[in-house]
Amino acid sequence: MALIKKSAAPRNPAKDDRAGARDFDGLTRQLDEHDATARRWAARDLAVHANASAALLTRLQRENDVSVREVILTSLMRIADPAAIGGLVACLRSEDANLRNEAIEAMKSLPVEVAPIMRGLLVDQDPDVRIFAVNILESLRHPDVEAWLVEVIEREPTVNVCGTALDLLAEVGTSASHDALERLKTRFASEPYIQFAADLALKRTASMSDGQK
Amino acid sequence: MKRILIVDDAATVRMYHRAILESAGYAVEEAVNGMEALEKALTTQYDLLLVDVNMPKMDGYAFLSELRSHSDLAQPPAVMISTEAELVDRTKAYAAGANFYMVKPTRPDSLIGHVRVLLGSPPQ
Amino acid sequence: MTAASISQDDFLKFQEYFYRKTGIRFEDNKRYFVDKRLVERMGHTGSANFREYFSKLRFDTDGVEMQALVNLMTVNETYFFREQYQFDCLVNSILPEIVARKKDNRTIRIWALPSSSGEEAYTIALCLIERWPGIADHDVEIISSDIDTNILALAKAGLYSARSTMHVPESYLRKYFRKTANGFQIDDTLRGAVEFTRVNLQDPTDVRPYRHFDVIFCRNLLIYFDDVSRKQAAETFYDALRPGGFILLGHSESMSRISSLFQVRKFDDAIVYQRPGV
Repeated sequence: MALIKKSAAPRNPAKDDRAGARDFDGLTRQLDEHDATARRWAARDLAVHANASAALLTRLQRENDVSVREVILTSLMRIADPAAIGGLVACLRSEDANLRNEAIEAMKSLPVEVAPIMRGLLVDQDPDVRIFAVNILESLRHPDVEAWLVEVIEREPTVNVCGTALDLLAEVGTSASHDALERLKTRFASEPYIQFAADLALKRTASMSDGQK
Repeated sequence: MKRILIVDDAATVRMYHRAILESAGYAVEEAVNGMEALEKALTTQYDLLLVDVNMPKMDGYAFLSELRSHSDLAQPPAVMISTEAELVDRTKAYAAGANFYMVKPTRPDSLIGHVRVLLGSPPQ
Repeated sequence: MTAASISQDDFLKFQEYFYRKTGIRFEDNKRYFVDKRLVERMGHTGSANFREYFSKLRFDTDGVEMQALVNLMTVNETYFFREQYQFDCLVNSILPEIVARKKDNRTIRIWALPSSSGEEAYTIALCLIERWPGIADHDVEIISSDIDTNILALAKAGLYSARSTMHVPESYLRKYFRKTANGFQIDDTLRGAVEFTRVNLQDPTDVRPYRHFDVIFCRNLLIYFDDVSRKQAAETFYDALRPGGFILLGHSESMSRISSLFQVRKFDDAIVYQRPGV
């Protein structure tokens, strides 16, 4: 027994695990295979099929295996059509925390595609969804992000949504947010966390003149 | 000095809790989610864990349950912190192995009060 | 021209962002180290101030600036027995566990990437031959891969500098290396023990045949990937591993920034990650 080296390139095991067809119909059938590995490969291969979102989302509703869900989400991220985005938004309302978080991460990586729906999510009736919307803003390259965050802290009644917005403002905000920050401090005058977070945001977004330390 | 691990995905929340706990005389380390917390808690003996519920990759419940399943380790007490105030969430937290459950946003005196009950006051 | 400066708040913003993304936290005592490198990148990207640079960094669509920054902020040297504790973990904990549950005499398979110039793969081979008693009873296959064919050629050639072999025990040097005018030449036993292959980890066609591994070493590669690519790499590794297989990342890397697919395993020497389902 020893260190051995195969002279050929690494090969598949004796039988070919990928027995099924890789065309669209074949792959969508394989999404329902008993074996999680087969489902994963099908989900992965469907990423290049522009019309696969519906099939992937249908499977996602029923999929219990985390490894398959991850690949389905990655594929949805790559397809990123309106159906995929709609499906990801639906995941934000799921009872499953893991699925919600994966959907948030997926949407974070699709700033262009989610930008049009952000304003709607920021005023969703569910305060948790509003928090998730702020989370998604973290990676959004959009000229209005600061303005949206300011809108949140001006109008949002739920303290934890405001808290989440403050966390992001401290990182991406500018002195344009200062008036709103001061008003928020007044609105939540008896919440120590809001005072702390707003003060941090004020400090981190202070305008800088050249050479200022 | 008693060592507390603060677990929360929001930087501002970690800073806030750090400021409160450090000024009360505790040493603080941080983790951004349950998985990082698990790596740290398996390596380092903390005196107390302050654990947010909702975090990506591994949430507070999963972290705490996983940590509690290591029967060979000395288990530090844990305060779980969540945006949710429902009984079902409290019950879930205790089932995962939390000692206390607090609702966000926390208040300094309340946090220190809970920590002191679990740890005693730090030496002056 | 006024020198760019990094304020305390700039530093804290950067610190928090970098920690969130990579798990690496630069404390205050690293100000000089960090500031210098930030200023360098600011110059490179034509950023007038930190805010401008930070915005570029945060919203850089192809992750190129983050990669450059990570490169600058981390030590990238490759040499034999780098992060030795992981090789100790392989021999002391991982392989014994694999052997204990292995029900047949199938080959144990290890994948090490990126191969770079081969130091890591040859180190694994050395550790198996010299430090793992189980090598007498089990076959082990080591495959090491890289996207760069030039560096693969170097790895296959097996010629190393004194610097690269600095941590090789004297007895191993005598036994497995031959000193030449151009450096230390690895002997044929060792060269014959590792298969080097070209792979682009991000190409699904390339990685498809890489399956049924017991251990994967992927140290100091994923830290340079963007969030999406890292996630996909984790999924690739999941499929490349057998159920219960192990993956080791670089010492300042963590799956906590990448994927929830793996379980955390703490061994005496190291924290590693395991594909569930053994």
